[in-house]
Amino acid sequence: MNNEIKVDPILVAVIGNRLEAITKEMGETMLRTSRSPIFSEAQDFVTAIFDRHGRLVAQTAYIPILMVGLHFAIKSMADHFKGDINEGDVYVLNDPFKGNTHPPDVNIARPIFYNGELQFWAITKGHQADIGGGGVCGYNPNSTTIYEECLCIPPSRLYHKGEYQKDVWNLIMSNIFLRELVEGDFSCQVGACTIADRNLQSLMQKYGIDVIYQAIEEIFDASERQLRTKIGELADGKYYAERFMDHDGVNKDKLIKVAADVEVKGEEVIIDLSKSDPQVAGYVNSSIANTHSACYLALIIVVEPHVRFNEGAMRPVKIIAPEGSVVNARHPAPTTCCTITTGSVLMEIIWLALAPAAPHTVQAGWARWCNPATMGFNPRTGRSFADIHWLGKGGGGATEGYDGWDHIGVVVNVGGSRAPDPEIHQMVDPYFVLDYELWCDSAGAGKWRGGLGVIYRWRIDAPNIPCAVFGSGNRDETVAFGLEGGKPGIKHNLRIVKANGEIIPIDSESLYHLSTGDIVEQYSSGGGGFGNPYERSEELVLLDVRNGVVSVEKAKEDYGVVINPVTMEIDRKLTDSIRG
Amino acid sequence: MYSIGIDVGGTFTDFLLINDAGESTVYKNLTTPSDPSEGTFNGLNQMAEDKGISLPEFMGQVKLIVHGTTITTNATITGEGAKTGFVTTKGFRDVLGMRRGVREEMYDCKQSPPPPLVPRYLTATVEERLDCEGKVVTPLNRDDVLKAAELFKSEGVEAVAVSTLFSFFNPEHERAIRDILQEELPGIYISISSEVLPQVRAYERHSTTALNAYVGPILARYLEKLQVRLKSENFKGTLLIMQSNGGVMSPDLAMRYASNTLLSGPASGPAAGVFYSESQGVKDIITVDMGGTSFDICLIKDGKPGFTVEGSVAGNRLASPMTAIHTIGAGGGSIAWIDAGGILRVGPKSASSDPGPICYGRGGQQPAVTDSNLMLGYLDPDFFHGGNIKLDYEKTYSAFEEMGKKLGLSALETAAGIYQIVNANMAAGVREVSVRRGYDPREFAMVVAGGAGPIHAAAIATELGVSLIIVPRESSVFCAAGMLISDLKHDFVRTYNEPVRKHTSAGGRQDLDRLAGLYNEMYSEAIKTLADEGVSKDRVHVRYGADMRYLGQLNDITVHWEDRSIEDVIDGLEDIFHKRHDTLFGYSMPSSSIDFMNLRVTVIGVTDKPSFGKGSFKGTDPSYALKGKRKAYFNGEFVETPVYDGLLMGNGNKLEGPAIVEQPTTTIIVTPEFKLVCDEYDNYVLSPILKAY
Repeated sequence: MNNEIKVDPILVAVIGNRLEAITKEMGETMLRTSRSPIFSEAQDFVTAIFDRHGRLVAQTAYIPILMVGLHFAIKSMADHFKGDINEGDVYVLNDPFKGNTHPPDVNIARPIFYNGELQFWAITKGHQADIGGGGVCGYNPNSTTIYEECLCIPPSRLYHKGEYQKDVWNLIMSNIFLRELVEGDFSCQVGACTIADRNLQSLMQKYGIDVIYQAIEEIFDASERQLRTKIGELADGKYYAERFMDHDGVNKDKLIKVAADVEVKGEEVIIDLSKSDPQVAGYVNSSIANTHSACYLALIIVVEPHVRFNEGAMRPVKIIAPEGSVVNARHPAPTTCCTITTGSVLMEIIWLALAPAAPHTVQAGWARWCNPATMGFNPRTGRSFADIHWLGKGGGGATEGYDGWDHIGVVVNVGGSRAPDPEIHQMVDPYFVLDYELWCDSAGAGKWRGGLGVIYRWRIDAPNIPCAVFGSGNRDETVAFGLEGGKPGIKHNLRIVKANGEIIPIDSESLYHLSTGDIVEQYSSGGGGFGNPYERSEELVLLDVRNGVVSVEKAKEDYGVVINPVTMEIDRKLTDSIRG
Repeated sequence: MYSIGIDVGGTFTDFLLINDAGESTVYKNLTTPSDPSEGTFNGLNQMAEDKGISLPEFMGQVKLIVHGTTITTNATITGEGAKTGFVTTKGFRDVLGMRRGVREEMYDCKQSPPPPLVPRYLTATVEERLDCEGKVVTPLNRDDVLKAAELFKSEGVEAVAVSTLFSFFNPEHERAIRDILQEELPGIYISISSEVLPQVRAYERHSTTALNAYVGPILARYLEKLQVRLKSENFKGTLLIMQSNGGVMSPDLAMRYASNTLLSGPASGPAAGVFYSESQGVKDIITVDMGGTSFDICLIKDGKPGFTVEGSVAGNRLASPMTAIHTIGAGGGSIAWIDAGGILRVGPKSASSDPGPICYGRGGQQPAVTDSNLMLGYLDPDFFHGGNIKLDYEKTYSAFEEMGKKLGLSALETAAGIYQIVNANMAAGVREVSVRRGYDPREFAMVVAGGAGPIHAAAIATELGVSLIIVPRESSVFCAAGMLISDLKHDFVRTYNEPVRKHTSAGGRQDLDRLAGLYNEMYSEAIKTLADEGVSKDRVHVRYGADMRYLGQLNDITVHWEDRSIEDVIDGLEDIFHKRHDTLFGYSMPSSSIDFMNLRVTVIGVTDKPSFGKGSFKGTDPSYALKGKRKAYFNGEFVETPVYDGLLMGNGNKLEGPAIVEQPTTTIIVTPEFKLVCDEYDNYVLSPILKAY
């Protein structure tokens, strides 16, 4: 750490704010102009600025699971183009073995020059609606190698010295079902980097390179100090937790274990994932970038959610993820589902492990994600479409003092992804939504209860719709966990009612075919509870019953509160006798 | 005859009284929160007293009152709106309550969602369904509506909002539901979404409609009472109500569309900005209003402020069109703090007025922006609010000394740092509405309002390269002034989701008639609304708009035009969209197809406006107004700075910085880089001595 202040602390604050504001401005372009609902509604993207040494300076993670790991991509591109990095270049990359999280995430970066010298990198990473391969919106539960998942893009030039590389664009876009949509979103990412360039130019002009770089060092040190101080407040010790995924899509009867030894030692944390299962056949294998991201995300939420995330904030944390394991797979393993499924499990084990060290800030488990991706042709509009069904988001986990939030999942996005508008959803896609509302009794009971999941039923009004259901939470072992006596959530319940009346149960990580008249019924679970449900205030239990989110039966069974279903009054005597 | 602008704010009720000769008088009263009309009549009484006549005699001479009220805003923020029921489509009970499943502060788990406007047990679902083109799939089940009415009756509900799926394409079911409810629950306040906001996006429409019902009875009661009392005091003129869209409306419409007043607080600022900049011949301006807790910014291009449909009140979305005012947490009360990493930050937390900054001596402990202004000599400890509040320098100094120690800075350097950081934050806010929207702030004049604004204006302008600052004489009652010059204004919208190309010459103008039909429908409705308010056709201006997007995009850009029919402009719309997209977002895709999403019509009924009078020429030399000197901090050192009495200054006066101009509720800091001139309306105009940028 550097204690000698070279640039005055006021300027450090001003420059730090400005750099962060630039990443927000980049994000605005993504939010406002993207065509994929995955960008603009689910906000599944991140924008950042790196310095000339490839260190993260400022970022805005619209989707938290993408918060770490961009440095792997920057390093990969900088190494690949070393000696031939030019003003006006724009690079693209989606190879998870060359620094990406998972194939649908496309990194687009622009080196930024000042007086002819490389000074910064602007980068955006976002989940594209389609990236080729045999999947649906990129999800192919049957894949056993990366070749079945995607068009794999190593570091490549989209622009060379300002010149549009038509061949590269054409090569990529010719492999993509929703060409116009994806081409639009590639342009949107390039646009965001252009916005960053314009802004950084005026910043460099104003303060000069040396002052900005001195300020950056101070900003790094400040974030490091902040995180170290907060880690120092945790109880020292060695902690352990393990959780499971339903399966990998290929071997459907085998749970997959992810495990963490977490050591808190003074102002540092070491996360060792060595006890996790070896890499598996299916697409839940995690890339190193995704594993780092999930671990940091879980950790900072517990330790210090307000830290400015940059190079400095990464210094006090060490992550061990052995190569060849399910948390750091070797090429050519498929990885598409790692952000949602494996990422969630990683977060859960960090929270579970840290529960004794930080009982006041950990959260109970959130309902796992388990929803379909579908795409096809809508005869009504005459257009193709692709969509991930965020309308089936589950509930969040409770924490000390606060109930979980309803319909807020998935945990890797910690509440940042907006559910789509149900009307526009039906105007664009050939679906007729029958139900979309909260699911009574879906949340884990607790002094603070979990957030509720939803009932989402929809009819298909077009033929030939491939449907990839991805996620987990359909096994007893994978429901949202409770904490401190709080109860777990329940299993999801998903099925297809075919037009001919046949009922097909839906499993996680599986491919289905839908057609006109079929109805998909999704019951998505709620989050886990926190604390003994018998300690929940009787009035809150009554309100939940009046609101129809907890049944009279469950009020008695889980909370020990007896309510007359007609008068909606609490039977104090009976309640006292149960609660004691 | 008189015209009066009345702006009821959280702390103060501001009045601007103007007579037919254009002479204006400012009044400021404490707001009376339990019944805001008390404060209003206190002010009116004071005016009558000053004229030496009785209230009825005075009111008989008032031809116009424009009234801005935050009564609806306050009711929503404090959760004291009407007990409201909600009716929606069966199977979709929670679209309103789920708020699209978002937690705005996503990393922070220690929070609860905002309390719901309508609890789930008062949300009734009824069997009925339209498809995504508005065709009836399931007819309305009247028994379900009767059951809902029964529930609302037994629960003592005062207002009901009705918003069903796709009702913006076909209002038939919503109207039927309203009719049944009206019959079953006579006298109840009912809002239906196809009237309030017939526009796609269920949550946003539900929420806007629910807000309308939630505040409707409150505003209706208030306005009814106010009108009765005004009448009994012999008022025979016109009463108009300020709206969030920057226009005014009749009390009758205000009662029906109460939610249109929810963000009307700062909405008249832009009109005031346009007015005050007219004397300088500029039409591109940025208005900034810095109060105790917030800094409101509005960009006005060619005399027209932008608008947005992305409002929110206490966590509830409000999606009707409103003036695009960008608010950041920076004001005189903004607190400075050192974060866990050791970096100095300012705001958004505010000491507000209670306990207030340290220097107020009311128990404030943490240095705030006002405190650093005192430290730097910008404020006179004995002349704050005209001397009504004495500022405590000693206490302030020791707090800064303590904070400085942690930063390795002196007390004074710390104060200068806070001044610099809050200025940079405000400049960043201005950048967001300008640079981010594709405008260069250097091409705009800055109109400054609010008590604290003129202390920081020159510094912010320097940061942004703005070369013209206008500080209105009435800057402390800026919004009340704006209300008096606002026009009647009403917005209409239709959702229409079709490719633009189908309507152009290139696409064979296939559906152009249908498109034109929708605009005509809105136009007729608009003209009728204004006619009901007594506006003749020659005073009507129409502004058309279309929300457009590239195929597959989920957000829109609104393209506007005036005085020309859709048939005339249709062939140019695509080009305008591509260009605007490029400016805003760094790219465009001319080969990509474009869709319409919403069509808009805004009508303006031009009102008679009071004219503001010019001040008599006071000569160029303001030395007669010099009231003393004090040390103020500029560019790293204290400089002996002349202080002028603003109330004595006027038309023609000129001076160069460094200088301080003081009015009882406003202080203007003229930095050494700036000069100041009083224009013919006695407003202050600042510009750089050397235009180095």
